[in-house]
Amino acid sequence: MNLDRAYLGFYLGAVFAATLIHDPVWLACGLGLALLASGRKAMGILRQALFAVLTFNLLISLSYILMAWLQDVSPWVTLIRLNLRVLLITCLTFLFIARVNLFRALDFSPGLTFVLGLAYSQALTFRRAQDDFRLALASRSLKPPRLIDRYRASAAAAAWFIEKALHAATQSSQALRSRGFFND
Amino acid sequence: MTEIRYRPVGVDAPAVMRTIDLGHHFGGESARACEVLRDIGFTLRSGEKSVLLGCNGSGKSTLLKILNGLITPSHGRVFYQDDEINPARLKDPILHRRFRAEVALLFQNPDAMLFNPTVFDEIAFGPRQIGLPDIEARVRHWAAEVGVSAHLSRPPFGLSGGEKQKVCLAALMVLEPKVLLLDEPTAALDPRSTGWLIDFLASLPVAALISTHNLGLAPELASRALVLGENHRLIYDGPIQALLTDMEKLAAANLVHTHRHRHGDIEHRHTHVHDWQ
Repeated sequence: MNLDRAYLGFYLGAVFAATLIHDPVWLACGLGLALLASGRKAMGILRQALFAVLTFNLLISLSYILMAWLQDVSPWVTLIRLNLRVLLITCLTFLFIARVNLFRALDFSPGLTFVLGLAYSQALTFRRAQDDFRLALASRSLKPPRLIDRYRASAAAAAWFIEKALHAATQSSQALRSRGFFND
Repeated sequence: MTEIRYRPVGVDAPAVMRTIDLGHHFGGESARACEVLRDIGFTLRSGEKSVLLGCNGSGKSTLLKILNGLITPSHGRVFYQDDEINPARLKDPILHRRFRAEVALLFQNPDAMLFNPTVFDEIAFGPRQIGLPDIEARVRHWAAEVGVSAHLSRPPFGLSGGEKQKVCLAALMVLEPKVLLLDEPTAALDPRSTGWLIDFLASLPVAALISTHNLGLAPELASRALVLGENHRLIYDGPIQALLTDMEKLAAANLVHTHRHRHGDIEHRHTHVHDWQ
């Protein structure tokens, strides 16, 4: 077994374990271990993970606080557990992406490698497009854009991405069907 | 009688943009770092039209973004007139405002530039930011120049690729820039619109650097060529007509190809250029 595949197994096991552990102390220990394993990249991975989960966790946490207040129960243990678990799994995922060559990890399955190739090419295309949207707004702005301009630019980009994703998905499925991958 | 449309700009014309030993790689200093530009040095002069040629992946788009101050080069320097340009220097609001008004970049994907509710708002975006007078007259003038007057009240998102490209051009030209950087501007255009763009650019009194890998189109767009090789270096900087006869140079840049031809009963192979549009 190659090292990347071993890391894949370890990552899947760690994520599964994180969903079974309920004690916040153990979850915090797991987070500490994940950051230790990240070495010099620890702060970057933690910052990236915090940024990635911020909006989602904030919304869930505020909703839960409201519900707990209405039911007159203490929300804190559940909130700490939830946020630690999401942060731990996100850190593990960013650490996994930074360390592992996914193509080598999945080379045991031609089907999975094929799907990964499709997803990877889409992700690269979208990342380049996202950079272009961001840079185009910067290029056209003679002074810092207003909030409304940022919203409009984000909305236009989101609509473009949805349209392209739908188009790409249709193309991919037609290509797979054309190559005899499935015939339903 | 053939009219000579392009005349070489004299060496005494003032320099507007200049690069010195410009290099760039993506991926930082890591082992995965990917070099896209190396030792690029050239000068663009006022009113001069140049094409930037290179095959896909040679670094054309990255170079244009660096010239537009959107990306910090890994090494080397870019100057606009006497000011060094990079994202850090553009934090100075006075330089930022002057540079963004005077140096405009048309992105390869016009969708990336469009976000306003109507074509009118799209073209008026720049002038409104700096409070220019007569915004409506300016917008209507440039909409008429590029031929999108009929779409002024429509959202730009539903237009065809060529119409979007024209809206983007109007949105840039309304600020009357001194330098135009155009990234594959004919990519989304049909043959009629391509002909229109050639005439439109020739009529503009601005310096322009136009990227393309269409050799058939290049001499129509400019008299000077800059060629990026597959090694990401500038391998040619000079008159375009001389370049078009230098098959060795064109082959080195992966701008020409060889394949079998059939002329009646004769079949042979040679290196040549296609006019794709």
